[in-house]
Amino acid sequence: MSSSKLCWPTPNGLPALMPTVVLAVSILLLVMSASSVELNLVRLFNAIPRMFDFAGNLFVTPDWEYLPTLGTNMLQTMEMTFLATSIALVISLPLGVMAAKNASPHPAIFHATRNLLTMMRALPELVWALVFVSAVGLGPLPGIMALSFVTIGFMGKFFAESIEVVDSRQVEGVVAHGASWLQLRTFAHFPQAFPDFVGTVMYILDHNLRAAAILGLVGAGGIGFDLVMAMRMFDYGRLLPIAISIYVVVTLLDRASDKFRRRLI
Amino acid sequence: MSEQIISRPPLPKKPFNPTPVWLSAWLALMWVIVFDLELSFETLLYGVQDIFEYLSRYSTPNFEDLSRYIELLAQTLATALWGSALAFVVAVVLAPFAARNLTPNPFAYRVARELLNFMRAMPDLLLALIFVAALGLGPLPGALALGVHTAGFLGKFFAESFERVDGGVYEALSATGASRMQVVMYAGWPSIQREALGYVLYIFDRNVRMASVLGLVGAGGIGLALHDTLRMFNYDQSAALIIVILVTILIIDYLSTWLRGKLN
Repeated sequence: MSSSKLCWPTPNGLPALMPTVVLAVSILLLVMSASSVELNLVRLFNAIPRMFDFAGNLFVTPDWEYLPTLGTNMLQTMEMTFLATSIALVISLPLGVMAAKNASPHPAIFHATRNLLTMMRALPELVWALVFVSAVGLGPLPGIMALSFVTIGFMGKFFAESIEVVDSRQVEGVVAHGASWLQLRTFAHFPQAFPDFVGTVMYILDHNLRAAAILGLVGAGGIGFDLVMAMRMFDYGRLLPIAISIYVVVTLLDRASDKFRRRLI
Repeated sequence: MSEQIISRPPLPKKPFNPTPVWLSAWLALMWVIVFDLELSFETLLYGVQDIFEYLSRYSTPNFEDLSRYIELLAQTLATALWGSALAFVVAVVLAPFAARNLTPNPFAYRVARELLNFMRAMPDLLLALIFVAALGLGPLPGALALGVHTAGFLGKFFAESFERVDGGVYEALSATGASRMQVVMYAGWPSIQREALGYVLYIFDRNVRMASVLGLVGAGGIGLALHDTLRMFNYDQSAALIIVILVTILIIDYLSTWLRGKLN
């Protein structure tokens, strides 16, 4: 029916410039870095039967006697998550105010806080956990320290960003009533940014749970240690219950936070 | 005057403010957790001096091996890049199925959603352990692990962006007789391309951070070197490695912030 040639839906019929450039650059970078990741298709294909082997091994009778320990460790993981998020929340609220352009007491403080937050969130939790484990010993304490340290960086930045987009007319309205510095932030900035804050906290909680589940790898408490041990010793009777419990807990929190956020926003 | 005041109707009762209740419940829960985890703040306070003494050991970074670090760093970045590319490809395929307004049927929607959810729920270090067992040591299993894990995130983000697009855009295209595939290609992706690029940048950013620790489980990159130096108490080299990682991540952070600013 149509006699026209197949062409792109742009004025000149050629692919749009920007996406093409982005695609070309990415492909170039990927090709250039292929040797660096030791990309080897033969190796990949050889691995497929081993993956199936592994998947087959997973279906063994779970180690029932291990289940109570699993429960304890999973609970510890969740407790670490909650505590670290709470600590980070308390500390990052004032930092967030100081790092927001429109609420910061002084431009110098604004820049200093911004850079501090960037530094804090730069390194992943596991690096800090390694450092803190060497400093305060094994257990959940270094894990909590690492989690809260990194998430202060994230939360402070997100809080600052949500404070920066509040409607300035409402702030002016409160100023016109003669509000003090602190009153202004409590009754003008905070209520407007509150829904965003809750969203951020839910996101961070989610992030921390995922991170807490693997912190045990370096001895910082939680389920991660058992996970790595089971994997290293090919203890499939434990591996499957651990993986399933992580999956269930992460999924439940994910669903809950999605529902909560949708109701709020 | 006083009569007027008396004749005024009584003020309505102050509404119940639930904040103190929530706050005390929260504090109680925190207290229970601290008790249950057997955290002692005495140890923490006692340890503060120790921590400062300990941190001072990092004050003399040793950059002798810098060329090796740069090489490892390049490997880390390559791992993150390949992981992100894999995630992108998987997410592009799955996202239209996982968007409620573009999916061909409810069954495909459920399957795509659950698949994305599963990939998201598996920690990337666990995936890396599995892939290392199957593929042997090296950065390739790391890239695969990152790809699988972040495909779950990226697919979910894309699907949610698709769902936020005004329904009229899709309708306009299907009214011209476009097939479902064409609707996705010419109405879906163009409407969310800015958002999508922002998400890809975010995922790349995240993958660089994660790639720098994947070495802990033998999946290549700079993480293994850091782990080894810390285990051998080579604080000078650890400090140098941490600085190298920190600087790289900061540069990428600024670059992606700048790029995202340009997009908007």
